[in-house]
Amino acid sequence: MERSWTYRVVIYLMLTVLAAIGLTPSLAGWFGQEDSLPPWFKKHVTRKILLGLDLQGGLHIVYKVDVDKAVSNKADRLASEVEERLKKDRKVSSVTVGRSGNDEITVQFREPAEAKKLDLNMMKTFRRDLFEDSRDADKGFVVLKVDSDQIDEMREYAVRQGVETIRNRVDKLAVAEPTIIRKGSDIIVELPGLKPEDFERVKKLIGQTAQLEFRIVDDGNEYMKKLSGVALTKKDAYPGLDVAHDGWTQKDTQAQHSDVYLKAKDRKVIEKFVAELEGENKVPPDHEIAFEEVADRDDFGAETQDKFWRTYYLHRRAELTGEYISDSDWNVDQQSFKPEVSLTFDRKGADLFEKVSGDNVGRKMAIILDQKITSAPVLEGKIGGGRARITLGGGSPEGMKQEAIDLVAVLRTGALPAPLTWKSENQVGPTLGRDAVDKAKFSMAVGSLAVILFMLLYYRLSGLIANIAMVLNILFLLAILAYLPGSAATLTLPGIAGVVLTVGMAVDANIIIYERIREELRAGKSARGAVEAGFGRAFWTVFDAHVTNLVAGIVLFSYGTGPIRGFAVTLIAGIICNLFTSVWVSRVMFDYMVGRKKAATLSI
Amino acid sequence: MAKFFELIKADHNFEFVGRQRLFFGLSAFLIIATVAMLPINHYWRGAALNFSTELRGGTEMTVEFSKPAESGAIRDGMSAGGFHDTEVVPFKDDAHPNSYILRFGAVSAVNSDGATKLEQALREKVGAEVLRKFEFSEGGDKFYARFSKPITVDDMGGVLKAQGISYSTINTFGRIEDNQLEVVLVGLNLEVTKALNTKLGEGAVKAILSSDSVGAKAGKELRDNGITTVLAAILFIMLYILVRFDFRYGPGTVLALLHDAFIVVGAFAITYKEFSLTTVAAILTVIGYSMNDTIVVFDRIRENVTKYRDKRFDRIVNASINETLSRTILTAATVFFVTLAMNIWGTGTIREFAFAMNVGVIVGTYSSIFIAAPILIWLNERFFKPQGNTKPSRAS
Repeated sequence: MERSWTYRVVIYLMLTVLAAIGLTPSLAGWFGQEDSLPPWFKKHVTRKILLGLDLQGGLHIVYKVDVDKAVSNKADRLASEVEERLKKDRKVSSVTVGRSGNDEITVQFREPAEAKKLDLNMMKTFRRDLFEDSRDADKGFVVLKVDSDQIDEMREYAVRQGVETIRNRVDKLAVAEPTIIRKGSDIIVELPGLKPEDFERVKKLIGQTAQLEFRIVDDGNEYMKKLSGVALTKKDAYPGLDVAHDGWTQKDTQAQHSDVYLKAKDRKVIEKFVAELEGENKVPPDHEIAFEEVADRDDFGAETQDKFWRTYYLHRRAELTGEYISDSDWNVDQQSFKPEVSLTFDRKGADLFEKVSGDNVGRKMAIILDQKITSAPVLEGKIGGGRARITLGGGSPEGMKQEAIDLVAVLRTGALPAPLTWKSENQVGPTLGRDAVDKAKFSMAVGSLAVILFMLLYYRLSGLIANIAMVLNILFLLAILAYLPGSAATLTLPGIAGVVLTVGMAVDANIIIYERIREELRAGKSARGAVEAGFGRAFWTVFDAHVTNLVAGIVLFSYGTGPIRGFAVTLIAGIICNLFTSVWVSRVMFDYMVGRKKAATLSI
Repeated sequence: MAKFFELIKADHNFEFVGRQRLFFGLSAFLIIATVAMLPINHYWRGAALNFSTELRGGTEMTVEFSKPAESGAIRDGMSAGGFHDTEVVPFKDDAHPNSYILRFGAVSAVNSDGATKLEQALREKVGAEVLRKFEFSEGGDKFYARFSKPITVDDMGGVLKAQGISYSTINTFGRIEDNQLEVVLVGLNLEVTKALNTKLGEGAVKAILSSDSVGAKAGKELRDNGITTVLAAILFIMLYILVRFDFRYGPGTVLALLHDAFIVVGAFAITYKEFSLTTVAAILTVIGYSMNDTIVVFDRIRENVTKYRDKRFDRIVNASINETLSRTILTAATVFFVTLAMNIWGTGTIREFAFAMNVGVIVGTYSSIFIAAPILIWLNERFFKPQGNTKPSRAS
């Protein structure tokens, strides 16, 4: 016993020191003493208790991935493909292909006899996606359904891509400790510390459906020439606005192309100018002015660090979208040493791309990602084979590499296959929680003090032991919160309630044990025997009680999000620490009294 | 023998089991009152429970005004901006004077009526057969329109402007041949600020301190999930009891826990305090906590059954309750007092949480003695011989 007692004390002391170290940065932060910590300490112990967004402000949004829309979109597309094939390949004279539900395609032949043309052979081309559900040969009516494995796969894929896309976008926001959790087909985004003025912008950015578009630049158009004239006269009203020219030679015919564009350091200046155009100066409805950020060039044609925004005059109609892309990758071009992104189109996309590139040789094709032109290369000839390359523009090598990686991520995940539907959100300003925290702290102090006094009065020295165990319990609990990563544990307002509750529950296990010890003493046992029996017999009662609490805590964890989850984590950690401190740690102190000091009576 | 400071003397012997009819009656009364209160609330106060925004669906916004504002004027301003039936409650916070909590049904700048009107206007503009699909998800900040021929972004923008709907962007969506447009609407905060500033003067809204919006569907989902979660917790706890004790101990715990959950809900129905996600969390905590007392009593019953084989089972139960009574009351008291402190000095959700815990601790302790134990006796008499079993003891 002597030896084991020493071991236990050493282990508990080590744990206490570890907990105290882990908690130091958080405590220093709360009391504004961060500067007084030695630098070596700050370097190695960095984890802090993260405050949930109900305490420090921020944005919490729940999105639902509209998986049914992804399925329904796919079925729409398959329906038009079926119709096209029946008419073109199978020479069906008249057929109506309709849609019903999320996953059904109905095919009605005018001549029932022609229904034969929709045979197994034709279905083979759709074998991954469609199967025949029913057929009424007399009426010439066939129902096709989207394969259910395919649907499941699509749904799963849609949610996973949604999470991936959101993560990519959130990473760009530079918010500390963002969390993105997937729950069924819901995606929960938490951005603690985000400022209220950024809420709208960030919401827009996250909810945006990543759109990649390919549009043809309408160079040499009369409208732009007119507009540049207007711009030159209004330079004073729009400071920084300027006009510049651009020219290139078409490779096959040697034809000269020239274009005029607007430029400014600040994109908003051009946007304002365009928005305030009136009458016939307005941008024609079938065209659009888009922007690209480009690096300035010095007199020798080399890129400088300076950047500016320039306009492109585009046809409004997109020739191709990211939806036709089946794969994408990036590498570094061996000649220019610039990163480039390669695209592979699907069958339909390849056809479209070949046609568009063939029809517009010599023109520029703008590649637009989320409303911003990423590059606008000149089409040098018809591009077949369904492959294309995007060479990225200026910037630092790391910056370009990052841009390439991001672009590939977006292209691979494509435009979101299913739109995100907003479900709920919670915005909290940074100053709102402060008052609540102060009051919670006060009530916590009052409650704890009441419990401490009661235990001292009722159980005297043993009460002191229970109080020490309770303080250690809180210490361990907070240390666990500090050591866990932010995605797992944040301190929320209900979480503070959880800490307070832990104070109340911490002494409960001690009360159960002490009452048992009293009974043993009443039954005439020696102090040592009573402690032994009391702890031994009460252990399983305390254990069972903790397990049921734990069950409730775990169920709560799986139910809640945000603050409720924070509460569940605090509760679970509190229960586990409690079992440890009230049973084992206080036992050490009792063993000291009855074992080492050989006390004949207990102060209980 | 040592002297202890005791609230309840060790040799007390109260009669609990013999008076179970009285207590069953009391519990039945409370449960009936709870069940009756729900429809009464529904007709009299508008909803069965005072569900918070997150459970009901809608928006709760805390707005700070730059100078004192009349709640009537705020309501009028909201109405003029299209946010009807706004509930305006003063928000007490020393750091933010002149603040109000606004609760209203809308969760986005366009409600479903507005969406229907918009769809009609679109049909008129492009032709009924050209608009193939119009999708607006409730609470959504965007909608989708699919046409049989290309429609320009400006055409769509024109229709939106004519309907007085502000939007932030319009994009083409999906493949080109889909002819689909996506419209992203302006955020609710901006719309509310605009509505209030129009009525109360520019700059009247100092800041929107917080804003919670939950779609009606999500609210209902959370409500339903809340009920399933509570039931799941009870089921898991019962399974644990079945494993650790035996089957006679199971039903009593389930009924006691259901009883506790019900009465906490009843307390919220009668006081009409806000019933939020935090309340659901509190009910789950109450359930876990209520089991503590039940386990203490059950453990002692199991121990005493082997000790006093010659006694009647109901007498053993009564003795066990008496023997454990002091710890049952003390453990409940410590938790009661810390949560009472939170109830008195806490704010907002903390206070509601503490209230639920206060009620829950009392009924939880009560149900261990007056619900769980009598049911155990009844099951024992019904299915076992009245003497109890001979399982080995290991209890406190």
